[in-house]
Amino acid sequence: MEVWRQIFIHGMNMFNLFIVSYFFIGNGVYTLLMVLSLGSVWLYNRRLAYQGMDEIRESPVTPPVTIIIPAWNEEQIILKTTESILQTDYPELEVVVVDDGSSDRTLERLVKRFQLVKMDLIYRAHIPTREVRGFYMNPDRPNFLVVSKENGGKPDALNVGLNLCRTPYFCTLDADSILENDALLRLMRPVIRSPINTVASGGIVRVLNGCEVRDGRVVNIALPKSRLERFQVVEYLRSFLFGRKIGDLLGGTLIVSGAFAIFHRETVLDVGGFAHDTVTEDMDLIVQIHHWAVKNRRHLTMSFTSDPVCWTECPATLKMLGKQRRRWQMGLCQTLWKHSEMLFNRRYGLVGNFSFPFHLYVEALGAVAEFLGYFMVPLAIIFSMVPATLYLLFVLLSLAYGGLLSVGAVLLEELTYRRYPGYRDLATLLWFALIESIGYRQLVLYYRFEGVVRFLTGFRRWEKVTHVGVAN
Amino acid sequence: MPFLIEHLIEIVFVSFVVVLLGNCFLIGIALTRRQRRRKYFHRIDALREKYGPVVAGILSGQIAYAQGLQELRGISGSDRMVMLERLCLEQKTAPGQEHALGRLSEDLGLVKIWQQRLMGQIDPASLKAALAHPEGLVDRVSALQFLIRAKSAENLGAIHHEPSWPLLVKTLEDPHPDLQSVAARALSEIQHPGSFPALVAQMHKVVLESTSALSLRAIKAALISFPLETADELLPSLRHPNPRVRFLSTDIIREMVEREAAGRPDFFLDKRNLEPGLAEVFLVELPFDENPDVRARAAPVISYLADSRALPLLLTLLEDAAWFVRLHTVRALAKQRFLPQAGQIARTLTDSNWRVREATVRTLRGFGSAGRERLTEHFLGTSDRYSREQIADEFQRAGLIPELLSQCAENGNGRETRVLSSLAEMGKTSYIVSVLTQGKGNGRLRKRFLQKFGCSPDPQIQHWVEEVAQQESDSELRALAQAALITNHQHGEG
Repeated sequence: MEVWRQIFIHGMNMFNLFIVSYFFIGNGVYTLLMVLSLGSVWLYNRRLAYQGMDEIRESPVTPPVTIIIPAWNEEQIILKTTESILQTDYPELEVVVVDDGSSDRTLERLVKRFQLVKMDLIYRAHIPTREVRGFYMNPDRPNFLVVSKENGGKPDALNVGLNLCRTPYFCTLDADSILENDALLRLMRPVIRSPINTVASGGIVRVLNGCEVRDGRVVNIALPKSRLERFQVVEYLRSFLFGRKIGDLLGGTLIVSGAFAIFHRETVLDVGGFAHDTVTEDMDLIVQIHHWAVKNRRHLTMSFTSDPVCWTECPATLKMLGKQRRRWQMGLCQTLWKHSEMLFNRRYGLVGNFSFPFHLYVEALGAVAEFLGYFMVPLAIIFSMVPATLYLLFVLLSLAYGGLLSVGAVLLEELTYRRYPGYRDLATLLWFALIESIGYRQLVLYYRFEGVVRFLTGFRRWEKVTHVGVAN
Repeated sequence: MPFLIEHLIEIVFVSFVVVLLGNCFLIGIALTRRQRRRKYFHRIDALREKYGPVVAGILSGQIAYAQGLQELRGISGSDRMVMLERLCLEQKTAPGQEHALGRLSEDLGLVKIWQQRLMGQIDPASLKAALAHPEGLVDRVSALQFLIRAKSAENLGAIHHEPSWPLLVKTLEDPHPDLQSVAARALSEIQHPGSFPALVAQMHKVVLESTSALSLRAIKAALISFPLETADELLPSLRHPNPRVRFLSTDIIREMVEREAAGRPDFFLDKRNLEPGLAEVFLVELPFDENPDVRARAAPVISYLADSRALPLLLTLLEDAAWFVRLHTVRALAKQRFLPQAGQIARTLTDSNWRVREATVRTLRGFGSAGRERLTEHFLGTSDRYSREQIADEFQRAGLIPELLSQCAENGNGRETRVLSSLAEMGKTSYIVSVLTQGKGNGRLRKRFLQKFGCSPDPQIQHWVEEVAQQESDSELRALAQAALITNHQHGEG
């Protein structure tokens, strides 16, 4: 019996050590990211003063772009999205909406609104996809095409769009998103300005909930009413202004949100398009491109910029939030597992030695460590292995630290873009940043833990997050 | 162990307090910042309201220059120059007003400050203002030097300040990529012929030295914006031993020419707008360049040359071994004056590359009814599946199906009927059926179609015939559809 007790105590000690190390390493890295991001985003914002948007708009060297919108049962929001896209300020733009076998009225609404007619056009499947049922076009709008296909998932719909894309770059956009008028121009700026071939360029995704939308444009930016959505506003700010920016700064981009990103067509075709074996095809594509570049000795770059804005609906209910976060976590685990040979592989430079281990240790395993920590540490107190005071202080430190990171993100927003105009908005954001770690963080952690469990148990299904048109 | 735990408790407690204070500090910065920005925007809004019309009036000539200048000089405060800069640069200038804006900026002392800043010098006025207000000094120190210099270069370009071009050319050599890029852009705004060779030299550097921080697109965009008359400076580059330099130079001239030609169908290149030596290179050397990219980009320029050698050269390039040379040539031939060559162009309808086939179809369609005739002839006469598919694609994309249907209704057994029949054979009937379904009012068209194609085995047409047979209110049409169904049924049984 004594032996088992010793084993238990030893195990608990080891686990507690792991939790503490995770806490300090994870938060240490996050602090570093926060400081670097503060400098980097501030500097980038100052540089915008002389970036010459008019020149990009008018220059013949600005490459044409195709926007690909995969849509599956998006009847509530598809018209809003499409109208917004067709008004986008960009010199040469094509728009392809791929209806992925919707069972609702997504296709009918598009056909009716834009007076489309069914056509039998040529389809060259450079990348194999599910069968295409038909093309819908209005000859008066030659730059707008709707494709109807058999349901095959988001990667398959994106591949159909890719097969139809004729421009050197294409932009993937979620069907529940609204682009700011000049977002595409801003997103293309790093592609045009960079001396190295830029194969992916990501922008910032902001929460649409609560904003007023008129004629496909966000005309009044406001915070959503519900607490759940407000927490997500803070979370998105932290995720995009810190996490993504730093990947860009260090040249170790591992995630570019497919909700709004530009890709180099030839490169994506060379890597075989969007893969079906993970549920986060955007992250998987980026990792595939890193592979391809190393294998073919290509010198290329990826960028993240924080001024091109895409507004998207965030989940308004716990059920939808759970679906979204489980999928993200499961996709992260799948992608990291699929490309595990990159871990500490010096051929992959910063991606293999910083981004990959960071995502594995802090983002993937961190969810497990933190979740179990909430149960194991109290156990350790019960067994008198850790003083209750220490535990309590540690919890307080953890909460305050979570608040610090979120407050830092809100500050960064305030120093740069200030999208939320009122004092009240700022105060609300700061308040939600402070209390995010109490309750909301644990809730998201639970969903992330579920995502890991699903990955481990081989669950593969894509959980659909239904959008209900929450903008005013 | 208890000793260690106590220490750990202390460490965690101190960390907690530090983090808590950190939170308060960041919140404090955020709120203060918001307050400061609010004040700033209130001030700029007030100034805009008061002085914006003055600047606009000076530029349009509605306000006497001296009087307006005096008013603007009346703006006071430590941020006076910042506000003046904003007021001047925010003003949308109509063509021809750039000079007035430049003069105003000069007289207000802004140009001198921008030039000094660009040279990396500290201008006494802003230093004095900064020292007088500690807050301004912090701003000044915090803003990195290259940001100020780049913004100054941008401003000089924005007001088209011609005397600043030598300074901007010097900035092209600055080690900071932002400064190089902004200087190139500012030079393209000013468009002083003296700066063109420096930009060309920069292009060479970007191509030949892989370490250059300036993007090729940025330098190319700058060069393209110059007038075509300056293009002769690119002559040595067109003969450069490096194929990429030749390619870029050709492409820059192509872009310049395309810009000049935009919206002018009668545009030609002759000795009045293109240096004869340059034209000779396009006629004698570039179509035979070893680099296919050069040949491809030369074709559009050749297509504008008023020279008897141009057309044979284009027809030769139309048969080039590289598909993209053929592609660019076909596109270059999409001008009404090449209509007599439609027959030769139509040969590329059976090209092995689909992009060339597609470009050919579009070029021919661009010729209007004569081009469409050519396409129809080819469509009906060829057995080449790929070109037929391509033409069918274009008929649909261009929205020609309704027209074909109405002509079919008018002409009976004309060519349009044969085209529709071929489309039905190819299974390309979705658009046809859409027109028939939507155009319910046009009974004659549907009657004709039922008579001609009611028995077509195409499933979409059959489905439509069934619908008409069951739901149509017009008894004649319904009877025709029913008869077609019976015939079809008999054929099926037979």
